[in-house]
Amino acid sequence: MSQNLEIRRSSAAVWGSLSGIRSIPTVAKYVDTTTCIGCKACEAACIEWNDLRRVGTQQTGTYQTLPTLHAEYWNLIRFNERDFDGGIAWLMRKDQCMHCDEPGCLAACPAPGAIVQYANGIVDVNPDQCIGCGYCETGCPFDVPRFHQTTGKMAKCTLCVDRVSVGLEPACIKACPTGCLQFGTKDDMVAMGLRRVDQLKASGFKEAALYNPQGVNGTSVVTVLAHGDHPEWYALPADPHVPLLVKFWKSVLRPLGVVAVFGAVIGAFGHYMNLGRKGVKGADAHDANLPDEISRKGEHE
Amino acid sequence: MSAAHRPMDPAVVVARKKEDVLVGEEIVRHNLNSRMIHWSVAVTFFVSLFTGMPIWLPLFGWMAAFFGGLSVCRVIHPWAGVAFFIASLFMFFDWVGDMRMTKRERKGWWGPLLFRYLRWEVEDVETGKYNGGQKFFFWTVGLGALGLLLSGLIIWFPRAFPQLLREFSYLIHDIAFILFVAAIVWHIYLGTSAEPGTFRSMTRGTVTPKWARLHHPKWYREVTEKPRHHPHHG
Repeated sequence: MSQNLEIRRSSAAVWGSLSGIRSIPTVAKYVDTTTCIGCKACEAACIEWNDLRRVGTQQTGTYQTLPTLHAEYWNLIRFNERDFDGGIAWLMRKDQCMHCDEPGCLAACPAPGAIVQYANGIVDVNPDQCIGCGYCETGCPFDVPRFHQTTGKMAKCTLCVDRVSVGLEPACIKACPTGCLQFGTKDDMVAMGLRRVDQLKASGFKEAALYNPQGVNGTSVVTVLAHGDHPEWYALPADPHVPLLVKFWKSVLRPLGVVAVFGAVIGAFGHYMNLGRKGVKGADAHDANLPDEISRKGEHE
Repeated sequence: MSAAHRPMDPAVVVARKKEDVLVGEEIVRHNLNSRMIHWSVAVTFFVSLFTGMPIWLPLFGWMAAFFGGLSVCRVIHPWAGVAFFIASLFMFFDWVGDMRMTKRERKGWWGPLLFRYLRWEVEDVETGKYNGGQKFFFWTVGLGALGLLLSGLIIWFPRAFPQLLREFSYLIHDIAFILFVAAIVWHIYLGTSAEPGTFRSMTRGTVTPKWARLHHPKWYREVTEKPRHHPHHG
């Protein structure tokens, strides 16, 4: 399945959608947290393929490699421990860019073309256009993009767009030994996820669910959760959406600002045409013999 | 007579240090120090403005070309903003003594008196060195500069601050910027083409007595009641 890299959405673009000529299926990663064994092969594959080698591990008292994602660590298995009656559960979850259908990073980004969403749904940072302002960090409901100190650009998972575009699966998927990671069209991945959820329900996990949050119109990483009623146990937001204030800022305040800026200029020009200058005739001259009376345009003519 | 012995323009010499004095046919309105501070604020403001606007909206993206592109603007903007705040701080303490508002100014100049002024009606005889509009502008700029600095620091270092504070910072930075732009357009318009004889107070430093009597009658009376200043004859 080779992928066309037509752009669906671009940051700071005047028009929302830039594609639509061809029908290109949305792709997605499938993540089954119930069959993940925490081997971190996906982490290793990610740093290998993307050549990210500058971050050491950080001991935080768990098996987790780092406390959070990093500009050079785009794929992190979170080892969430949870006590249950009769034992402990390891709720391992693959933390990475979720490739939202409605990306908050892209909405917040001020640099044209710095964040793009390809027609296949992959959300990618374009380093040529990125100015490293960090607005996307505030726009992202999953706290994913990171500022890279060396390049001065933002960095995050690309969903291996370079592999996907030539018909390969992402590096993390390729490396997974248990098959808990799969890659395909979003429709297929959602269908697979729902089948797995049914299996889990049948085997006693009544609250099992597929995490594909509708607040951002779904994501291109769909995650099977045994405890689907508690996404926060997996360090996932219960109801992620593009921050309301970011939307307000971009879609209400900015247009009002444009009106105010041009309104001030037009208003001043109109004032000048209507009332002219204020001043004693020759008030800026050195000659003290000029008349004293105040002149208003029109009154003396 | 050689150039070395040519007498200096007395008004220019006096205007280096002194303010509010009559020299020949001119009144010194802003001494050199005040003028330098004002122009420092202006330059840092416009660098901040023109590096910020292309980041604000692609409509103004063309401005970025003057600085070498959007990524250069992103580097310059926060530092220019800090410089603007520092310059504004100097300006604040230079002028705050003259900016205390009377009750009448406080109550009227946000609306009725401002519109009266903008209709070019005869200036209130009680208007001193600064009118109520200028005082409001001064306090708005002071408050706005503080708002821009604080929200700008949060936008500059997002990971050091909580999510909601970051979101509000964009709004505060935007609102302050919008007010600043609207105010600066009118500030420049009133200080140049609308009121002849004003701009020289920020370059040469002086105004004519007629100008002073028209725009700032009380200040005019105060200055002219003082003995005329005689510059040092060398």
